[in-house]
Amino acid sequence: MTAKVRLTEAENIARIEFDHPEKDVNLLDTETLLQLKDILASLRGRVDLSAVLVTSAKPRVFIAGADIREVETFTDRELAFSKSEGAKAILQMIEDLKVPTVAVINGACLGGGFELALACRYRVAGFSDAVRIGLPEIQLGIVPGMGGMLRLPRLLGIIKALPLILTGKMVGAKDALKLGLVDELFPDKTLPEQAAAFARNAPLKRDERPLSFLTRFFEKTSVGRYWVFRSARKRVLTQTRGAYPAPLRAIEILRKTGGLTPVSGSRIESEGFADLVGSEVAQNLIRLYLLNERYKKFPWTDLRLAPEPVLTCGVVGAGVMGGGIAQLLSNRNIAVRVKDIHTEALGGALREAYRLYGESVRRKKMKPFERDRKMSLISTGLTREGLRGCGIILEAVVEDLGVKQKVFRELGAITGPGTILASNTSSLSIHDMAKGTPHPERVIGLHFFNPVNRMPLVEVIPADVTSQETIERTVQFARSLGKTVVVVKDVRGFLVNRILGPYLNEAGYLMAEGISPERLDAAARKFGMPMGPAELLDHVGIDVGCKVAHILEEAYGARMKTAPLLERLVGKGYLGKKVSLGLYRYKGKQAARNPGLDLPKPARVLPEEEVLKRLLSVMVNEASRCLDEKVVAEAGAVDIGMIIGTGFPPFRAGLLRYADHTGLKKIVEDLERFAASVDRERFTVAPLLARLAANGQTFYPS
Amino acid sequence: MEKIAIVNGVRTPFVKAWDAFDNIPAQKLGALCVTELLQRAELDSRLVDEVIIGCVGQPSEAANVARVISLLAGLPQETRAYTVSRNCASGFEAVTSAAEKIRCGVEGIVVAGGTESMSNMPMLFSKEAATLFLKLSRAKTFPGKLKIIAQMRPWHFAPTPSLLRGLTDPVCGLNMGQAAEVLAKDFAISREDQDRFALESHLRACGAAEKFREETMDVLVPPAYRVCVRDDSGVRKNQTYEALQKLKPLFERRTGTVTAGNASQVTDGACALLLMGEGKAKELGLEPLGYLRDYVYVGLEPSRMGLGPVFAIEKILKRNSMRLQDIDLFEINEAFAAQVLACLRALACGEFAKKYFPSGIPVGEIPREILNVNGGAISLGHPVGTSGARLVLTCLKEMKRRSLRRGLVTACVGGGQGAALILER
Repeated sequence: MTAKVRLTEAENIARIEFDHPEKDVNLLDTETLLQLKDILASLRGRVDLSAVLVTSAKPRVFIAGADIREVETFTDRELAFSKSEGAKAILQMIEDLKVPTVAVINGACLGGGFELALACRYRVAGFSDAVRIGLPEIQLGIVPGMGGMLRLPRLLGIIKALPLILTGKMVGAKDALKLGLVDELFPDKTLPEQAAAFARNAPLKRDERPLSFLTRFFEKTSVGRYWVFRSARKRVLTQTRGAYPAPLRAIEILRKTGGLTPVSGSRIESEGFADLVGSEVAQNLIRLYLLNERYKKFPWTDLRLAPEPVLTCGVVGAGVMGGGIAQLLSNRNIAVRVKDIHTEALGGALREAYRLYGESVRRKKMKPFERDRKMSLISTGLTREGLRGCGIILEAVVEDLGVKQKVFRELGAITGPGTILASNTSSLSIHDMAKGTPHPERVIGLHFFNPVNRMPLVEVIPADVTSQETIERTVQFARSLGKTVVVVKDVRGFLVNRILGPYLNEAGYLMAEGISPERLDAAARKFGMPMGPAELLDHVGIDVGCKVAHILEEAYGARMKTAPLLERLVGKGYLGKKVSLGLYRYKGKQAARNPGLDLPKPARVLPEEEVLKRLLSVMVNEASRCLDEKVVAEAGAVDIGMIIGTGFPPFRAGLLRYADHTGLKKIVEDLERFAASVDRERFTVAPLLARLAANGQTFYPS
Repeated sequence: MEKIAIVNGVRTPFVKAWDAFDNIPAQKLGALCVTELLQRAELDSRLVDEVIIGCVGQPSEAANVARVISLLAGLPQETRAYTVSRNCASGFEAVTSAAEKIRCGVEGIVVAGGTESMSNMPMLFSKEAATLFLKLSRAKTFPGKLKIIAQMRPWHFAPTPSLLRGLTDPVCGLNMGQAAEVLAKDFAISREDQDRFALESHLRACGAAEKFREETMDVLVPPAYRVCVRDDSGVRKNQTYEALQKLKPLFERRTGTVTAGNASQVTDGACALLLMGEGKAKELGLEPLGYLRDYVYVGLEPSRMGLGPVFAIEKILKRNSMRLQDIDLFEINEAFAAQVLACLRALACGEFAKKYFPSGIPVGEIPREILNVNGGAISLGHPVGTSGARLVLTCLKEMKRRSLRRGLVTACVGGGQGAALILER
């Protein structure tokens, strides 16, 4: 057993130092906790010491939390309960020490790490931006299980502790001091020495801060507490629509443990932790977390290139998309040259970028001078001037192969080998675009999702001729913009739109059968989608949706036959939100039924469950075709794409995870039933899905 | 000595003050211009060593405006930047400072230019009022505050425009317009001559609108970005002699001849040029617009500052053993029609030469056909810190169009100085 924690003693101060021998971060796993237990046992009763410090030997990390891979295995309720109780008993030993204890926070101090720090009498931190303190457990569908639920309210009071626990928000050093999470901040260089000096002078007992009258009312009276918890519950329910049990359970635990000590309230917290950690939602959120981590760093090519930051970028084709991309790039301090043939379009791009920055200024995330500085990185031009030296040029002109080929031919001729030529197409073939250019090896697809600044997914689409270096550089570039990358084969619709297309199309068929947009959306929202298919169609524009549908139909034939309803809507001018009239009628922020829609009365009332099955089974079916055709290599890539690209409910951990959970046999049965009763082409079971279901297998290896 | 190459240049359109650029402060105007220059030159911004910007009324929120411009334009933080002021020749000063730095081997590649937002010159309180405000903010007790408030008078709240103060010579007490009136009287320059000169400036600038597009950039005006400024807004297409004649003298009501029509306009604008040694340009494969051959600055009586070009031209020609005929194209900054006309007369006048030039020989007559061929500050406007850089750019572009070899640009400088530069291709 290698030591992950060690004890040293000097000048009457004991130092418990966390230092994981193999990793860059410290994690609290069972082994580490047991080592800590031995150390604490040896310190018990030592009154000769002037203080005990808890420190980390890792740069920029204190303790990053519990080991999620271990937590994931706590599916057995009894095991989870005893693990939680055990960990708490160990942390209680810190609290029980008879000398002042100080956690010296030099970086990330999250989850279990923060709970450990809370068990110390005092916490001091460095000024470094590496310091992030919080309890992010809730984001994994669980609650803190090492006493954090008891100690944080004791330190801050319920009102301040609630938002930290319920959102899992992490705070920086200065905010932590303001909130009272830490007692002092010291410069990072002298943090160890000053922390020791602080510890030497610290009294064994903390001073209690006097509470204000209002705080006393809300925290200390039963009426006040009732209000606090009721409003927190309400807020949680509106935000999560009840899909996430952890925040509700957290409120429950806080309510029950009010006034209890970490020891006397221990069981209540442990029970909550144990109930949640084995739940489907928590398991899914943990899987998603691990999936996310995997794809943040996923090696898409075999090349390992030294990072080479892109300093200047070109955007060809202004307008809203061009403006969004320009904003995204300039926000990362990249100089952007936007080129278009129309001055008005250039103005539109600048306006869009300014609007997006304006949003940040309005939400106090940015100062006006920062907006002005970033805006001045965007310059515009009607000619190709300024594009030659760009590290990457993104094309966002109209979706017309001829136009795009022309753009790439011109750019290929003026740029050198250091320039990547990327297309933001959502529907055209990258291969066709690359074909006519002088340097096809530098051409690649880089598909952003709208709104560009908020959607964290990009699809990178290499053509057959695209060089490995171009792929790797593009992946690097997209990651430097803070995006998660999925490298996808050059098929129509790529990955996300190809799977989402049948879903929206099916929504069109369902509405034509008399399912109202409201019912459709309600069903999808209940499933957990951020918005229903009708809302989504209005949002992207029904004309746009229709165009994509036609492209998919052309590529994939009868199973993607465009729903005639969509074309009819376009014909009537119901284009969606942009004209305030689509499947709904929009007045300001209000959406109401569009009276001109006149959908038929349904022959029979389709139950909500059936509606959902039809929407979801076509997606699963198409996703399995994507896997079969190696559009992406593994189910995880599909799921990450669908979750961060379309908002597929995170608590379901993805489309294919949902399919596995539902049972592939059941899905195949549904499809077969629909094929017989609704439409043969649209519901033909894909070969891979049929095979897996027949063999009793799943998309994910079990 | 290595030749100093002016590789590229661009300017914003010149826009009448308090108009389209009203909301663009000097640092942003300058940044727009520098960004555009770097894009047009297709130069890796990391290669720029220094940014030197001329500016007379530096924005109070952007001290050392050159540094602010450099950072706003996305130049690396390692790039150095400083601001220069030599009043109306600040733009020249930026260019010549750049040349000195390059020649001495201190810097390799320099962006030099000027920026001025005369729309954003602050309003100032009198010292007396400022003292009271300061006392008020320091007073601790309510009665104490009340006592100071009681001392305040309505006129304390009337600000003076800093623009007006800046255009007044603190040594001779004349403002620039009054200084022009002095010259008009000295050289007996009639109102008619001045107005004809002004009209010609407008006519020439009108005719050059297309040419100017080669040196200007389009400016989409924030925050709406709906207005695109493409042309200089001071040029009046329908300017007539009669209309100019109707204007009242601005500086001397009864006896004056200088009007708003025959004086330069109050204007916003920025200009940026890319300078480097000839060898560097070759190394980078850049084709220069032209070269800076030589430059001089002269000092003279502040109240007759308008004659600065006369002394500067005389000195620079002598230094280069040249005659007037060796210059193919002239730009004399049109601060005032009276002042340009006075310069032309002084240059040709034997008596003046005897009195003021060591040689005693007049310089000669500058033919109007090769002087300010595309108009000047009277029609385009005179953003004081920018004009010098603009004259260099305009002259070089015109020399290229006409395939001329040598140009001379010059300006009078408030406070009693003159500047002249010889440009070559």
